[in-house]
Amino acid sequence: MSTPIHTQTNTPILSTYASDPDMLDLIQLFVEEIPDRVRTIQDFWERKDLAELKRIAHQIKGASGGYGFPSVGDAAGVLEHQLTSTPTPDLSAVSRQVAELIDLCARVRVA
Amino acid sequence: MANTDKKPLVLLIDDSIDVHRLLQVRLRHEQIDLISTTKPSEAVELARQHKPSTILLDIEMPGLDGFEVLRALKDDPATNTVPVIVLSGKGGSEDKVTAFDLGATDYVTKPFDLAELRARLRAALRLEHLLRLLAERADVDGLTGLGNRAAFNKRWAEKVAEARRYGSPLSLAMLDVDFFKRINDTYGHPAGDQVLVGLAQLLQSESRTPDIACRFGGEEFALIMPSTAPAEAEIVAERIRAALAKQIWSRHPDSPITVSVGLVGSSGPIGDVSPERWLEAADKNLYAAKRTGRNRCITSDVLEVIPGAAKQA
Repeated sequence: MSTPIHTQTNTPILSTYASDPDMLDLIQLFVEEIPDRVRTIQDFWERKDLAELKRIAHQIKGASGGYGFPSVGDAAGVLEHQLTSTPTPDLSAVSRQVAELIDLCARVRVA
Repeated sequence: MANTDKKPLVLLIDDSIDVHRLLQVRLRHEQIDLISTTKPSEAVELARQHKPSTILLDIEMPGLDGFEVLRALKDDPATNTVPVIVLSGKGGSEDKVTAFDLGATDYVTKPFDLAELRARLRAALRLEHLLRLLAERADVDGLTGLGNRAAFNKRWAEKVAEARRYGSPLSLAMLDVDFFKRINDTYGHPAGDQVLVGLAQLLQSESRTPDIACRFGGEEFALIMPSTAPAEAEIVAERIRAALAKQIWSRHPDSPITVSVGLVGSSGPIGDVSPERWLEAADKNLYAAKRTGRNRCITSDVLEVIPGAAKQA
């Protein structure tokens, strides 16, 4: 069973660096690649491959802030922490956090 | 020296392609050249090849972790003076202490504050520049302009490590001016200095580009010949010996100067022979050259001279 995604708010999330001409190409690249990352997250979560899920959460945490999407990075950080904190992570909390992260990713826009 | 006229080179080691992209763009306006790798296993080799002015090193990488890379960089004489700025997602003091204890110059937590990262990078580059100036001064012999004993020790350790790693040939010649004290006593110290400078010039003009000549101390010189088997090295050493013997000296035109040479080398892999044992072996041949009449070069395979070292099949 995959997690249903309820996007209540569809407010787009813009990069805090959107006005920096140096960054435009990079932000564009990041936004273009987001659907791939979302698919990867869903895939690992459905297979309950928590080690890989944690790895991609770690990656997104590190990258998002750099591209000017700190809220995405924070959500990924929470997910990574949940998957690290206990020997057996709280799967319902992880499930909610995966949904939250996917929702934020879906709202990321170039402009 | 690497990179003296060019922009300083910075090596980025991080497994995340995002960090590479971001820093390429974010450091675009700094006066640097950036090279990067996502593979920690390649990092040390890249650093050895390119001799960067500063290394940015991610700590949390799968496989070989960043601390291991840091340890390897600091263990290698070719890279151990390069400032390393550790990049980490963890801000805990334990990791910071480990990084500094292993020899890191600075520590930056992710996600980066870019103004801070740039400032820290500039500080590391300043430090590297000063270290380099200091090292260049400290390593040069004032009279001859050749590397001094400290420079020799450093370069020799590097070359022995390289030969060992790649199983490549290597030769070392130790040269000692014959009856040097007599020159000083008879013609005065300026005459002795002229001989030392003259021999230093021959060591440079008669050797090849990759060879490294150093003043080992007093009237003794060392010539490191990387990737050179002993037979080939002997040709170089003989050329220097013969050229010195032919030279006419303005302060004592009727007294030629000669040099005795102890040469040891290996044509291929010889396993683990320490830089010090090589040196002992070369010294042995040097004394043999002195004993058997001076103005000659005694050459042998390094393993034949080292007592107790088994010759490998």
